[in-house]
Parts: sequence; structure tokens; C-alpha cells
Amino acid sequence: MEILFKNLIPHPLKDYPHAENSIWGKEFTLYSPKKYLLNAASGKGKTTFTHILAGIRKDFEGNVEIDKQKITSFNSSKWTEFRKQKISFVFQDLQLFPHLSVKENFLVKNNLSNSFNAEEILNFLKIVGLEEKFEQKCALLSMGQQQRIAIIRALLQPFEILVLDEPFSHLDKVNTEICLNLINQRVNELNAGIVLTSLGEHYDFNFDDELFL
Amino acid sequence: MKIIRKLLFKNQNKKQLLIAFVGSFLGLSFLLISVHYLIKVNEFGEGADILGPNTLIVQKKVSTSNTLNLAKTDFSTEEIIELKKKKFILDVEPVISNNFDVLFSTNDPLVPRFSSDVFIQTVNPNFLDIPTDMWKWEKGDSIVPIILPRDFLVMLNTFMSASGIPQVSDELAKDIRFRLRLTSDSGKREFISAKIIGFTNEVASILVPKSFMNYGNENFSNSIPQKITQIMISSTENEFGLLENYLIEHHLESKNAQVLLGRLKSMVGTLIMVVLAISVLAVFLSSLVLIQYMQLLMTKNSYEIRTLLRIGYPISFISKRFLIYFTQIFSFVMVLSIVLFFLVKLVLDTLFMEGGLYIDTQLTVIGFISLMIIFILFIISSYITAKKGVSKEF
Repeated sequence: MEILFKNLIPHPLKDYPHAENSIWGKEFTLYSPKKYLLNAASGKGKTTFTHILAGIRKDFEGNVEIDKQKITSFNSSKWTEFRKQKISFVFQDLQLFPHLSVKENFLVKNNLSNSFNAEEILNFLKIVGLEEKFEQKCALLSMGQQQRIAIIRALLQPFEILVLDEPFSHLDKVNTEICLNLINQRVNELNAGIVLTSLGEHYDFNFDDELFL
Repeated sequence: MKIIRKLLFKNQNKKQLLIAFVGSFLGLSFLLISVHYLIKVNEFGEGADILGPNTLIVQKKVSTSNTLNLAKTDFSTEEIIELKKKKFILDVEPVISNNFDVLFSTNDPLVPRFSSDVFIQTVNPNFLDIPTDMWKWEKGDSIVPIILPRDFLVMLNTFMSASGIPQVSDELAKDIRFRLRLTSDSGKREFISAKIIGFTNEVASILVPKSFMNYGNENFSNSIPQKITQIMISSTENEFGLLENYLIEHHLESKNAQVLLGRLKSMVGTLIMVVLAISVLAVFLSSLVLIQYMQLLMTKNSYEIRTLLRIGYPISFISKRFLIYFTQIFSFVMVLSIVLFFLVKLVLDTLFMEGGLYIDTQLTVIGFISLMIIFILFIISSYITAKKGVSKEF
């Protein structure tokens, strides 16, 4: 997959000055299966960037082309297919269903593609140390636990690129490492790429390129 | 699928749903009941007489001034044209009488000889509830179809009984061979066989096809121009009161039974129309409440809808869940309404029967068709609302 950004700038950030190395208003391309770290301080537009990639936000100038197709020409069916098959997200606000159990949250996602069976899903949970939370409601979990649930959910589908918006903000070093390993394992399996946003941390993420806002 | 249902429909205001449910249930039930009985009341009396529904035979009231030749009892062409212009009158046609002598007699070896001078009349076939191919006669035809006053059959049966012969039913009477003898003032005579094809309670004379009457008047008439003393009027549904007022104002009269039935049908029909209008309004409002409830449910669950869309669920899949859910609710309401309809029908039919009103108890298709139309309209508006509501969150 190839994502070309041509002079992209979100409307709310248009009138603000941006650093010399900022990607806003520049032309650059993201390639899958490459791994990117998008580093920026708060309020620079990391979430806006990921939301533009997900087709959630449309208030921007410039162009974004995925495999030579302008995303402004995508209809809802195209976006749905894209979100189901090509690109997977860990949103900053996680977007879990708090009233559903961890298991149900996984099933809602997995039922779209039937990528894994129940045992395999439970195994993911074991890896991040949350197997005893399988039947618990997400609302009852800590933020760190919810972050790990959101990461596993994002892995339960086929994708060519995985976009993670500050996915380790509530995790300690050990759990971050465990999650990074799990992510890398799945991404390598699918020969996919990663875009990981961070508030300046590099973690132990073995990225190909670092981008700035 | 179960999880999605749990996700989208758990967060509900049950009280509001119950109000919409009860409103739809009552509206649909009343609609079905009122449509059914509106049709039944309009059908009431049909088939009992060979004259079409809402038809009256009208004549001018006979008073002393008529007897003294100071007022006319016949209708002029102008009067008939004037009547035709009234909005509550569908049609007016003169009743033409014979201008020659007619003798009606039995002509069957199985039935004793009976004869009587009779009065014959003819009316426009549009007023008669019989197939047109049965109601025709052409010069040269050996048998003329006739419609006999039911009182005449009673008289015939009295005669049969007195002669020691079993009485005959309507159907049996139709198999007896009769004969008409037409006689002119000059003594010219002709015999023609006659066959009963129906009975009437409303006309006192024997009815014959117009072509036969013309033949008789042309060949046996005393050449005095025929006067129109009776006319047939068919009124519009549920506007019988207007016709009745007109008759009173213009000193016209009709048979009491006809007027009473017309008045009763008009009154009950109007009442049921009011109930029907209220039912339609109730169905409309309760469907609106249900649709609004769907919108409310979608607003309450906007986070869930939005998240499902963001993780890859299509708009059509989510809107279909809402459509199916509300279709199930409406279908359940419909089934309950049909059950209530049958229960109410059972009670009402029994009450009518006990009160001497023999309303046809068979089901009306139109009632169920109206229910289906409402169901389809509800599905269409639910589909549009669901699709719009989900797309908004995309």
C-alpha cells in the first residue's frame, strides 16, 4: 500500500506556524510494510492525522491518495471496506464498548473477518496478562488494561497498515514491550506497515522512518 | 448478531416504547374494526332485494288536492332533470307502467290454475342487482323474465295452501312456469310465457324488461300518453339524510322500510367513518412516536453506532438492525391487533345478532389490505429513518 500526502493541512491548523520538519503542508509518501513513528507534542495534530487516514475527518486542504486514489472520492462503502480489510486503528480514546465484556468487544471486531477462533483470541489476552479479564466488562478495567484490549482488538482483522495513536500512554515499560512484541509479530505475519504516534517517546520501536508535526 | 443487538438496544427508555406500542396497538385495532364494520354496514341489505343498494322508489304524496285534480301526482321531465342535478343523488330514472291489460296466470301442470289481473312496471337495469344477460327480452322471444313482488309470492302460497298443495320457496317459485296475457281495448290478445328471476320487497308491481314494456305499449296500448307517477332514485353513500330532507321538503314519499334502512345505514356509516378517521390519526401518530423513538434510540446509542462504523461495520448492516427490531415490534403489534379484532368481532357479531341485525360475519379483505398498506408505509419510513440516522454518524 502506498499513501501519498500532498500539501495536507487540517483547517484548524492552517493559521498556525509549523516547524521546518513538520509534515503539514508537505508532500511525502507512506509505504506499507514500512514502520513509521510520528512524533509530536500535544495539540500538534497527531489524532487529526490518524482521523484523516481513517476517513473520520474531512476538514483539510491538500490531497491524500491511497494507492493513487484520492480519499475525497471514497464513498461510505469504500471506507467501510478499507477499515475492514486494509487499515486497522488503535484510537487514542480507545473506542471500546464499555458495557460489553472483553470477550464481546473482541467478538464484535473478529466477527467481521473471522480471523481468529476463541482460543487464539484468549491466547492474545494471555500474552498481555489479562486472561482473567476475558468475561469482565471493559468499563471495569483500568486505562492501561483497556489500552491493551484496544491493541488486541486492532489485531483481530486483516490489514496492510496499522495506525496506533499513543497506544502506550498508560502502560509501563514492561507492558509496552510486551504489546510492541505482539504488534510486531502480527504485523510481520501480515507483511503490513505501522504508523505509531507518540508524545516524544521512542519506546523500543524499531521504526524505518520518523515523522514530525 | 446477538452482541450487536445487545449493544444497540440495551440503552432504552422502556416507558416511551410502551406508550408507542400501546398507541399503535389501539390505533391498528380500531382501524381494522372500523374498516370491517364500515364495509359490513354498507353491504347491509344488499342481496336481500333485487333492487340495487341505496335505491328508493319515490312518488308524490297523495292528498285531497291531488284527488280533486288540483295538484299533479306525476313527474315532469324538468322535475327529473332537476333531481339529477342534486349532488347527493347518483341517478334518477322514471318507472314506466303498462298502458294495457295484463293477466298473470300459472301455466304449469304441477301447480293449480291461478290467475289475476296485474300491474307491470319497468325500471332502468342500472337500478337492479341482477346480471344484464338475465334481464333481456326481444320481440320473438318465447319467455319474458320477470321480478315478482315478494308479497305476491305470499299470496300465491296462501292460495296453494288453501288448495292443499305445499307452499313454494323463492328458489322453487323460479322453476314454476307462468304466463302473461296482454290485451288491448279492442280485444287483441297475446300470450307470452314468463319466468321469475328474482323477488323484490320494495316494488308492488311485477317488473319486466323495458323492451317488453315498449312492445306491449306499442301493440296493445289505448294510445293515451303514459304518465310517470314513480321514479327510482339512487343516493350517494352516507348522504341519505340530505335525500330524506329533500323528499320531505318536496312532498315526496317512499316506502318506510327503505327510508328507515337508508337512514340507519347513513347514521351508522357516518359514526364508523368518524371512528375510522380517529383510528387513522391514532395509527399515524403512534407510528410517528415509534419512528421518533427509533431516532431517540439512535441518538442515545450514537457512540456505539459511530464506533461500529469506525471498526468496519457497513451503514446498511447497522440500519438493518434497527429496521428489523422495529419491524418485529410493529409485526407484534399487528398480530395483537388482529387477535383483538377477532375478539371484538365475536362480541359485536353476537350483539348484532341478538339485536336482530344480521350483519354478514365473513371477514373483509379490505380491512386486512389497509393493515398491510400501513405496515408497508411503516417499513418504508423506518428504513429511511434508520439509514439517515446511521449515515449521520459516519
